[in-house]
Amino acid sequence: MSKPLVVFDKVQKHFGKFVAVKELDFEIREGEFLAIMGPSGCGKTTTLRMLAGLEAPTHGEIRLNERVMNDVPPHERDTPLVWQSLALFPFLTARENVEFGLKMRGVDKAERKERAIKWLDKMGILEFENRHISTLSGGQKQRVALARSLVMEPQILLLDEPLSALDAHLVIRMQAVLTDLQRELGITFVYVTHSQSEAFAMADRVIIMGKGEIGQIGTPKEIYRAPANQFVAEFVGRNNILAGKVKTVDGGTACIATTSGEFTVPSNGVPLVEGLNASFVISADLVHIATKEPSGENKAYCKLISEEFVGSMVTLFLEDAQRQEFKVQMQERELSKFDLHSGDEIWLSWDAQSAHVLNES
Amino acid sequence: MAAPFSQTRESPMSSKPEQRPNLYALTWRLPIIFWQLIFFVGPVLFMVAMSFFLVKNYRMTEAFEFVNWSRMLTRGFFWDSYWYTLFIATVSTICAMCIAFPAAFTLAFRASEATRRWAIFLLIIPFFTSYLVRTFSWFVILSESGVVNAVLGYVGLGPYTMLNTHFGTLVGYMTLTLPLVVILQTVTMSNIDKNLIEAAHNLGCSPLRTIWQVIIPLSKTGLIIAAIFCFILSFGDFVAPFYLGGSQEPTLPILILDTTKSGQQWPRAAVVAIMMMVTLFAIAFTGIALAYRKGKGAK
Repeated sequence: MSKPLVVFDKVQKHFGKFVAVKELDFEIREGEFLAIMGPSGCGKTTTLRMLAGLEAPTHGEIRLNERVMNDVPPHERDTPLVWQSLALFPFLTARENVEFGLKMRGVDKAERKERAIKWLDKMGILEFENRHISTLSGGQKQRVALARSLVMEPQILLLDEPLSALDAHLVIRMQAVLTDLQRELGITFVYVTHSQSEAFAMADRVIIMGKGEIGQIGTPKEIYRAPANQFVAEFVGRNNILAGKVKTVDGGTACIATTSGEFTVPSNGVPLVEGLNASFVISADLVHIATKEPSGENKAYCKLISEEFVGSMVTLFLEDAQRQEFKVQMQERELSKFDLHSGDEIWLSWDAQSAHVLNES
Repeated sequence: MAAPFSQTRESPMSSKPEQRPNLYALTWRLPIIFWQLIFFVGPVLFMVAMSFFLVKNYRMTEAFEFVNWSRMLTRGFFWDSYWYTLFIATVSTICAMCIAFPAAFTLAFRASEATRRWAIFLLIIPFFTSYLVRTFSWFVILSESGVVNAVLGYVGLGPYTMLNTHFGTLVGYMTLTLPLVVILQTVTMSNIDKNLIEAAHNLGCSPLRTIWQVIIPLSKTGLIIAAIFCFILSFGDFVAPFYLGGSQEPTLPILILDTTKSGQQWPRAAVVAIMMMVTLFAIAFTGIALAYRKGKGAK
């Protein structure tokens, strides 16, 4: 099941002097849902476009099914892409759009129609088959675009931020549609996005990219709980990052001295050397709050700056006396027991095992 | 707080806005309306009236006779000229569209933004000088002892007669229309969403096939308008068929000139002119309707 379908072998992409992709070395497994996530300009779309053959790598090799793809023109590849702008042909009807790729492959008219209808039906938009693209809603267009790519029955489907133009409630619906489709068809999805919620909600594995390099590859949980480095930790967001110097190393744990105090962290195999800089993260949802000083280690006394409600979850933004920022994420009903207001001071604490040391330098 | 303010401020104004924009808009519209009435509608109506006038002793006299119409429309030479003009203008349009397309395609998709801007600027330069002057320069190039025949002579070909032929007429038409057609096609195609072209490639459409399957359908409106312009300019042009085509097969504009010269037959010339206008209206109307037609589009 985890046979590599695609291999990126030391792939670089330069646009003149600008280096869009520094060096990519990774595999895409058969049948997985892979998300490539990063801030804009990180090279994620370029990576996807190289896979579709719309950009040629400057250095390195891309292999699909062990075949070197570098010189294969896009129209001879079987790597349909769902565009951010959807790129539906405005001069064709919904069904003609879906039939387009089959027509190019020389599939005869009757079969084309049959397969297009099957996919339009599967996407729940058969009733719009003869409608023009301009008369369809955002969600309907989305489904036409998906059908147009999937009707080709490819081994791999590429998606470039396809949900970014949709309303929030439609995004959630389409996420479910996409994951269901991927499970059902068993084909590989490569999904480029800048949205953490989309990537984490759908993907089996996530690649975090920054400045043309891979920050980390892992399952959403690995990336969330154990970010590999500062860039990933910051990009993933709801993390507390503390930096300081290693005071003592004792077997599997280390003590790191920061301006906000000394904290014990598990070293997780990261080579920590006494006296050198080190930083670690604690996910915001693993931090507890208390009005009285907790007895154990790993605590901080902070002032509440602001709160952010997202439905039942609340994120607290706090600051200690040294102006170190802390974030705490918790259930709203939990928080309501404390009756907190901006400016109130409160104790934070966490288990040593919740902390994760970043592998820097 | 806002309520009393807005009331006192709005009530005295509310009666005025209904009058003021009307007068204001009318003041700006009037010159255009007058211009159209005096220089377009008036002359056309006069021309229609004139087509029923009579010429006696080389002088036009007011009348209402159908004799000019029946004379012209039953004569073979009028219809010969009509069909020839229609034919040569169509050939001119096809030639211009085909010659311009590769150039416009390159400018739209292969050239940089800066190159495209310069190219369009350079394509405007021909319009700086009179079309007549540019036409005369073709004599030097196309005549039997001209540049083209001199070059062909070196390789043992020719000399070919190019002036006073259909070829000469077409060269003249191209001089008139090509820069405009290239500009219109370039502007149309450079506005195409590049994602759609990539999407076609992504779905297995080869670059050559993409031209037919995607680029032409997407630029349909602009291409048809370029063709309409080209046809209208060629259909009504007098210079190219007269000077470069030698007027051996007279086009309608040449026919108008001949008719007015021979025996002061202005009324009959008016008949020819009205026939031309009706034809051009029909073609422009159909073309624009086609260009903006929603629905299946080009297949």
